[in-house]
Amino acid sequence: MELKYMKNDKTGEEMYTGKHSSGLEVYIIPKKDYSNTFAVFGTKYGSVDSEFIVPGEKEKTVVPDGIAHYLEHKMFDQPDGSNVFDKFSRYGGNANAFTSFNITAYLFSATSNVEKNLETLMDYVQSPYFTEESVEKEQGIIGQEIRMYDDSGSWKLFFNFLECLYHNYPVKKNIAGTVESISHITADYLYKCYNTFYNLSNMAIVVAGNVDAAKISNVIEKGVKKNEPFSEEIKKIYPDEPNTVAKHFVSENLSVATPLFMAGFKDTDTGFGGSKLLKKYIEVKILLRMIFGRSSRLYQDLYESGLINNSFSFDHTIQPDYGYSTISGESKNPKAVYDAIINEVESMHKNGLSKSDFERIKKVVWGEYIRNQNSVDDYACDFLQFKFMDIDYFNFYDVYKDVTFDDVTKRFEEHFIKEKAALSVINPV
Amino acid sequence: MQSINSNINLYYIPMTKLKTTTVGVYIHRPLDKNEVSKNAVLPYVLKRGCMLCNNSSDVYKYLENLYGASFASSVLKLGDDQVIYLGFETISDRFAPCGEKLVSDIIKLLVSVLFEPVQFTHETVEQEKNNAKNRILAEINDKRRYAMVRCGEEMCEGDKFALSVLGTIDDIDKITAEDLKSHYEKIITSSVIDIYMCGECDENAVTKELKESTMKIAFSDSSLPKSQIFTRQGDIKKVTDHMDVVQGKLSMGFRTNIEANSSDYITLMVLNSIFGGGAHSKLFNNVREKLSLCYYASSSLVKHKGIMFVNAGIEFENFDKAYNEILSQLDCVKRGEISELEYTSSINALLNELESYKDDQHMMQLFELGQKLSGVSLGIEEMKEKISKVKIEDVKNIAKKIELDTVYFLDGKEDK
Repeated sequence: MELKYMKNDKTGEEMYTGKHSSGLEVYIIPKKDYSNTFAVFGTKYGSVDSEFIVPGEKEKTVVPDGIAHYLEHKMFDQPDGSNVFDKFSRYGGNANAFTSFNITAYLFSATSNVEKNLETLMDYVQSPYFTEESVEKEQGIIGQEIRMYDDSGSWKLFFNFLECLYHNYPVKKNIAGTVESISHITADYLYKCYNTFYNLSNMAIVVAGNVDAAKISNVIEKGVKKNEPFSEEIKKIYPDEPNTVAKHFVSENLSVATPLFMAGFKDTDTGFGGSKLLKKYIEVKILLRMIFGRSSRLYQDLYESGLINNSFSFDHTIQPDYGYSTISGESKNPKAVYDAIINEVESMHKNGLSKSDFERIKKVVWGEYIRNQNSVDDYACDFLQFKFMDIDYFNFYDVYKDVTFDDVTKRFEEHFIKEKAALSVINPV
Repeated sequence: MQSINSNINLYYIPMTKLKTTTVGVYIHRPLDKNEVSKNAVLPYVLKRGCMLCNNSSDVYKYLENLYGASFASSVLKLGDDQVIYLGFETISDRFAPCGEKLVSDIIKLLVSVLFEPVQFTHETVEQEKNNAKNRILAEINDKRRYAMVRCGEEMCEGDKFALSVLGTIDDIDKITAEDLKSHYEKIITSSVIDIYMCGECDENAVTKELKESTMKIAFSDSSLPKSQIFTRQGDIKKVTDHMDVVQGKLSMGFRTNIEANSSDYITLMVLNSIFGGGAHSKLFNNVREKLSLCYYASSSLVKHKGIMFVNAGIEFENFDKAYNEILSQLDCVKRGEISELEYTSSINALLNELESYKDDQHMMQLFELGQKLSGVSLGIEEMKEKISKVKIEDVKNIAKKIELDTVYFLDGKEDK
């Protein structure tokens, strides 16, 4: 496998990239003097992917909700009955995995025996072993996990919010599925999903740390078990989603102290990845901070009137096929906060945005990007997620530098619209 | 270490591989019912404005201009020491696109926030009192943490450590702006203040800046609060709370009878790792994996207080099974029934954790501070060496000292 070297003069970051003949994309990020090395091996497959056409097949496959997450759990079982965690533990590696809406990823961090840990990672993610008994056993553990989230106010708040935004799009469904949906999962379903989405041509690996690129690349190359890339794409099928929100408001009661709220806007300018998507991301990030940031008029007013506290935060999520921004926190009167948000946005539509705010806040986005490179974990994970959206995170500056006040103004007019807004509230019992 | 004056110490930990510089200010106060609530409100009022940036909006604009530097405040409990914490972080000067002196600008803000606060007004103090009360009420939102906090409260009833660093609602209600201001004036000149800087800066320049800006202030005697480990005689205490939850939370408090500065403490770290310190541990592999009794089961140490907690999220009806299994796993440790894999994995996990602090500026600060508070001068490498020498036999020997003290259960609604 041939490696290409890159260096970024603005950040001092270096990277080696390569593509294995199996289709696996490899990214090695050397971090001089670091103690930690972090590796993440991921597939472009998450909880939203329950309907798809396998390359070479004509009929679509429909699988139970929650299966990507279930599969992640079952990957830790090995054909020889051994436990993957034991192998990592022996080499001092700290292994974990996560399933999000669009990605399933397996990772470890280690301060020694990096190559041994990497071999283990490569090996187990390519060694599926599911039996009806082992699949059944997992229902207890995942059932507990689902129930744990049932008690979590912030988790419920978030999914209720997504239920407001989306009529049909599966991002509104719980990542782990429901106790009912996972009861339909079988070993056959797991193999079907595995053989489709864990084909190496649908995967990428990122290794960041104090590493020798040639050695790492060698371990990865030797670790490849199946060199049969798909010649066509996996066709993922998503339902049609209208531009409107499903509803503007939802509330639920749970044992929380103060009401929790999550307000936000549905992103309807979707259907693209790459630099264009990164640009949108930067624009919305700047806007969120201009409107809702700690120095903003709205934040100061709400804080001083006691309607919000330090838990107030905002975020923007992007994917090629959907997106949304969120504004969340605790408040004794979430409706009043929501009204204030909508009023502030409407008044800005009338009076325009402040250019000096824009210039100051744009600096913050640069600081965040630099700061993100501190942690090998965060940097590698963000890199992988952006990679799967065809975004070149390494050369962030190239897109960042071109974001102008006019771009941000246009984005504001398109995204921060009352009709696309919704509010989710969790009230105390 | 640079001594700024009789009370203030500056510790610089160089770490140039990271792109940021962090500064942590730790004001040490003894945990005490008479001031715990005031200390819980104070850092949030300090954050609201100073001579350099008069109000909160100006503080944040100042930080935004430094490429989004961060400024956090909170209160910590380190044994019987209530720490008022102010934390700053900026990208290092090397990465400032226009050659700005970011670190120096952050120090200017720190000095002004610490010694020139201007927001002891009735309105601001009332707002921050409300926020402080909400933080207390919000503790129930995280059920896992809440169960452990409640277990600690019940366990240490009558001991200072039972006090919550968030204060109490009644005492916060009683605070006036004048009270808080005079409390501030009293403690800012009579407390040990440790400032840890980690990253990339000119240590001498920062020392000079701090010395000059505090020269005219009259400081009085101060001492570092001392922690006592928790001891108690008598029966095991059992407490159940009921709440509208679907998953039960079990929290068990143990007395370790081991001081943070004793050589046994290192062995205790290994014991905790074997017993419940991660995915390699006995609790994870038996209570979770083998018996599928819970989604999580783990143990943790309260270093300065001689306490070990076990926490598990379980189905209500599995209480007895989980409880028995947790104790039976501890008995295994006491009998020295520790496999070679459990032992090696636990040692490696600890070495890995310590080594990884070297990439984390905040953890480096806390590590150094923790060592200082326990009166132990071992650095990371020395700690690692000592850990790798701990044998299964040593673990078995100190395990005998561990005694179950309190069993706390967060159960569902009573009518269920």
